[in-house]
Amino acid sequence: MRKQVMSGVAGVFVALVIGAVIMLVQGFNPVQTYGALLQYSLFTVPALAATLARAVPLVLTGLSASIAFASGPVNLGQPGQLIMGAMGATLVGLFVHAPAPLMILLCIVASLTAGALWSGVAAMLRRLFSMDEFIVTLMLNFIADYFALWLITYPLFDPAALSPMTLPVSTAAWLPSIGGLNTSVLVMLMATVFCWLVMSRGRSGYEWRMTGQNALFARIGGCKVDANYVRVMLLTGALAGLAGGLMILGGSHRFVKGLGASYAWDGIMIAVVAGNGISGTFLYGLLFSALQQGALGMELITAVPSEFIDVLQAVIVLIVVAGRVSLNLVLDYLATRRRLREAQ
Amino acid sequence: MNIFFGLVSATLVGATPILLSAIGGAFTFYAGIFNIAMEGMMLMGAFCAVLGSYFLHSWLAGIACGIAGALVMAGIFVLFAVRLHTDEFLTGIALNLFAVGATTFLLRDIFRVKGAFTNAGIRAIPTVTLPLLDHIPVVGRLLSGYNAMVYVAGLVVIVAAFAIFHTRFGLRLRAAGYNAACLSSSGVPASTVRIWSLVICAVCCGLAGAYLSLGYVRLFSENMSAGRGWISLAAIILVSGNPWGIAIISLLFGFFDGLTVFLQGSRIPTQFTAMIPYAATLVSLYFYSLRRKGRT
Repeated sequence: MRKQVMSGVAGVFVALVIGAVIMLVQGFNPVQTYGALLQYSLFTVPALAATLARAVPLVLTGLSASIAFASGPVNLGQPGQLIMGAMGATLVGLFVHAPAPLMILLCIVASLTAGALWSGVAAMLRRLFSMDEFIVTLMLNFIADYFALWLITYPLFDPAALSPMTLPVSTAAWLPSIGGLNTSVLVMLMATVFCWLVMSRGRSGYEWRMTGQNALFARIGGCKVDANYVRVMLLTGALAGLAGGLMILGGSHRFVKGLGASYAWDGIMIAVVAGNGISGTFLYGLLFSALQQGALGMELITAVPSEFIDVLQAVIVLIVVAGRVSLNLVLDYLATRRRLREAQ
Repeated sequence: MNIFFGLVSATLVGATPILLSAIGGAFTFYAGIFNIAMEGMMLMGAFCAVLGSYFLHSWLAGIACGIAGALVMAGIFVLFAVRLHTDEFLTGIALNLFAVGATTFLLRDIFRVKGAFTNAGIRAIPTVTLPLLDHIPVVGRLLSGYNAMVYVAGLVVIVAAFAIFHTRFGLRLRAAGYNAACLSSSGVPASTVRIWSLVICAVCCGLAGAYLSLGYVRLFSENMSAGRGWISLAAIILVSGNPWGIAIISLLFGFFDGLTVFLQGSRIPTQFTAMIPYAATLVSLYFYSLRRKGRT
């Protein structure tokens, strides 16, 4: 754990230095840029609230990817599951009428179910035909994307809008904000705690992690590997679906073309950089959200395009992941030398 | 008859980028690298090809720059996955996202546009009329008059099939995937063979990217590889890397890609026709699993 924190902090620092070098080469002022980045993401209350709200889809898709990767299934379908979850929440929000708290609950259940159904398709194809979920979920992403685009272009199209989007969902389904803080953040926190409990305190989480590390060992030890596979796929799909649902209920309130564009892929990246740990995913989710939120302000103050953050994120991932491996090698070397000296 | 000719040409045109990147991926597949960075290499190649073609006023320079861009990506892959022993899968994901971010950033930084860059100054790869075949009635129309890169892709398949199965390098390549320790202990470092396979893969993906932005269309748009790298990965897995198999699968995907263009005028919404290549991948995975089941 301490090693993780060390390599993470060192890796992010090195990545920021590399980012500064890139900026210097391009003729920008790195100090001013990073200053603007911090100011517009963390140092004012509204900015901090916006950063937390942006972290919701990042952390949730990150958790989805983390749990999947840690438990074995290579579920890369978060983008599609997010879109399906958002569509589920939108459909309930458009066509069901109920009082506010119940309505929100129904929409959230709909987004969980829709996400789980979409990953369930991949899980079913794997169980019945042993089709590799890695490519199946990827292809399902594209299909979900075009399917949602069709829904919002023809059957659900808002005639008053210029680009494909649905009508706004019923106001009863809008998540309220408490003191400027979007309540979807609270749902995200609850989901994070739930995931942490399942993965580090529950029996099923233990079984899943064992399966992820050594499926044969888990099977011989008496875990129902196949049933667990389906459960993990459904849970991770539901998490990604929840991310999409919360983007509707707490964000745009309608399904807009290009919704959730890159959040889910960022979530996968966050899971990778966090080494599939729950707390790590949460922290890196906040970091990436702060970077993305600050990017908008950075673009206002300095001439650096906000797309620079996309590059910086990828650099952070590569450096931290590579750093973790190399740091382990160095630490092992030092530990061995120390033990040798003690033995002499 | 015109529809037939149109479909054949749309098939070849749509198959070319998938074929090129899949052949590149086949080299890394045989070398035992789980390489999913084709998507990113292709995207980077497409961007650098436009860059070279626009500023150096030559499509050849464009192709060279496209290859160079993909090689830089391969260099990062080598540094992290081969040298620093980072997980190949993670490196691949990070590289793909890096390619999306970097090309979008550079598009904004160099050309000052968002979304897509199109300009009359971008030189396209020319079409080639085959000298003798062109005059034969049906055959000429079927085989002649395509973009030069389509013929290059055909050549690449033949060269790849020969190189993998009939040369010393190919033997070492397959050995690196089959038993790396054995290869290393017999005096050929497996990591060197793997680095070369990544270089070849980058060259192929650079060609595929250059074809996308200078042949298929003459512009660069954000994320224009649109999952072709993933489809080519599926093609490689389906035929276990065999170049001839890859050619057949790519033509099949090219056919569905062409079908997409053809159905655009019909009453089926374009969103559904656009799903066809991805759905076709799923269907082919299904048949692959049936075949595998039949064997055991």
